[in-house]
Amino acid sequence: MPAVSRPLPWTALTAGLALAALFVASLAVGVGPMPLGDPEAMHLLAVSRLPRTLAAVLSGAGLAVAGLIMQTLSRNRFVEPSTAGTAQSAELGILLVTLLFPAAALWLKTLVAGGAALAGTAIFLATAHRLPPQQPFLVPLFGIVYGGVIGAVATFAAWQADLLQFLSVWTNGELSGVLRGRYELLWIAALMVGLAMLVADRLTIMALGREASVGLGIDHARMMQIGLVIVSVVTALTVVVVGMIPFVGLAVPNIVSRLKGDNVRGTLGWVAAGGAGLVLACDIAGRLIRYPYEIPAGTVMGVVGGAVFLWLLFRRGGHG
Amino acid sequence: MKISRFLAALAALALSTFTASAMDVATARGPVAVATMPKTVAVYDIAAIDTLARLGVQPAGVPEKLYLPELDPVQKGAAAVGTLFEPDLEALSALAPDLVIVGSRSAAKADMTAKVAPTLDMTIDGDDLVAEAKRRLATYGDLFGRAEEAKAAAAELDAGLAAARAAVAGKGKALIVMTNGPKVSIYGPGSRFGWVHAALDLPAAVGEVEAATHGEAVSFEFIRKADPDWLLVLDRAAAVGSNEQAARVTLDNELVAGTTAWKKGQVVYLPAPDFYISAGGVQSLGRVLATITEAFAAAK
Repeated sequence: MPAVSRPLPWTALTAGLALAALFVASLAVGVGPMPLGDPEAMHLLAVSRLPRTLAAVLSGAGLAVAGLIMQTLSRNRFVEPSTAGTAQSAELGILLVTLLFPAAALWLKTLVAGGAALAGTAIFLATAHRLPPQQPFLVPLFGIVYGGVIGAVATFAAWQADLLQFLSVWTNGELSGVLRGRYELLWIAALMVGLAMLVADRLTIMALGREASVGLGIDHARMMQIGLVIVSVVTALTVVVVGMIPFVGLAVPNIVSRLKGDNVRGTLGWVAAGGAGLVLACDIAGRLIRYPYEIPAGTVMGVVGGAVFLWLLFRRGGHG
Repeated sequence: MKISRFLAALAALALSTFTASAMDVATARGPVAVATMPKTVAVYDIAAIDTLARLGVQPAGVPEKLYLPELDPVQKGAAAVGTLFEPDLEALSALAPDLVIVGSRSAAKADMTAKVAPTLDMTIDGDDLVAEAKRRLATYGDLFGRAEEAKAAAAELDAGLAAARAAVAGKGKALIVMTNGPKVSIYGPGSRFGWVHAALDLPAAVGEVEAATHGEAVSFEFIRKADPDWLLVLDRAAAVGSNEQAARVTLDNELVAGTTAWKKGQVVYLPAPDFYISAGGVQSLGRVLATITEAFAAAK
């Protein structure tokens, strides 16, 4: 099999350097003074800058991988957590826990959000498999309608309880509230990305569909469950800690598969790195555009994501 | 829209022929002539309800939720006629009011309610909130024949302002922050909460905040760098909920702990519904001023 494109080491090196540059830039950008070596500045770095940067990296990588897995499991390129009901279910979960137990701790909110995301995504995937495969646009269309319905339920409940503006905290991802002690749950998202690495080969086969994967000896139901858990946990954590960041799960896996193909083992690292870089870049831009005030990373991503989406639609090439 | 306003004016004129007198009321949309001493009034503005309560005027119709526990008696004595954002026109029609008062959150529905009864838009906005609140107070006094009470309330308000101004003087710079869950935004002079700086001669820790209604989203680093002597905190969640616990949790972090305000214990939690929902109501203003006075007076 000589045709498998083995990435040249220097491509990976360049990508790694670019990500490292973004990482450093994110550490350097902020309101407080940051002279090197100053103990005050080091404190600021440890308390605020590093947690924020890590939160962007973890949520970006997690969301991009979640998008890749959803696309693999639903066998459709145009779904991601924020368009297929996963994020909306997580928001509904948080809203319910806020209504019923206003003083609930963050981990409890995460747990409920995760459970709701799991249920919501399971229903989406179960239904997506019943749609005729020869009409690929039905799946994302269904996802958008389905996500819209769940989002509408959440909005209605929030409206009734005067919590609409509270709901907006989670519907628009923003990293301004991230500090040491307030983002660590996101490391579980890194664990989920690790889990995805472990089952990468089986995920690739899952993309061939149920019959083919069962024929190749895959426990289809079990793999579906694992994928669901990864997607739901990552989405719920992101929504709880920073809020929803749209498009990452859609744009990054699509671009990577254009360039690198569909072998999940080969692309997963690129997808994770791409997601991390994209969210980092958006957060840095959001901090700079109206310095010293901020624009939410989710808003910047909405603009950037729209442009990327158009680029995907109009530019055919690579492996496409 | 024009027609409905014309009809409203016409209705007001018609009414004025029945009652003895009419007056020109300065509203947010210019002067409107209405009959004085209306008997049945529906009010879709919490600040207006708050001020009317001070004057002893009981509206016949109010929104389903008034947010301020102090207004519970008003709520009990009135029919519910929809919400601030969505008037229930059938309930309003059934009430057959002589006059409808809308403001801020309900101002957009003025044209709808004007089809039922003459409607006054009594919105009070942030630019010159205190002066505007006093104008509204005087207007309600004349309109409802409670000019004496209105004068007394205005005197109380002035005394409250003077006390707050005296307490604030020379105690340092303040920053108004609003928490919304885990996030914060700030407000400066010229913003919807800028009246605090203007009316009390309270110096602002951050000079040029643009006059955005929803403030400017900032990081905790920003607050640390601004290093205010005082933090005036509005908890948006508490404005519609119960307590200020959430804001305290949000602000209790290593960066805010580095500010002078936190070190000296000079963090003032403003009464959220009074400050946020019924801004401009005389009783609410009084409670906000009292909170500020008490906190600043206690400082060494």
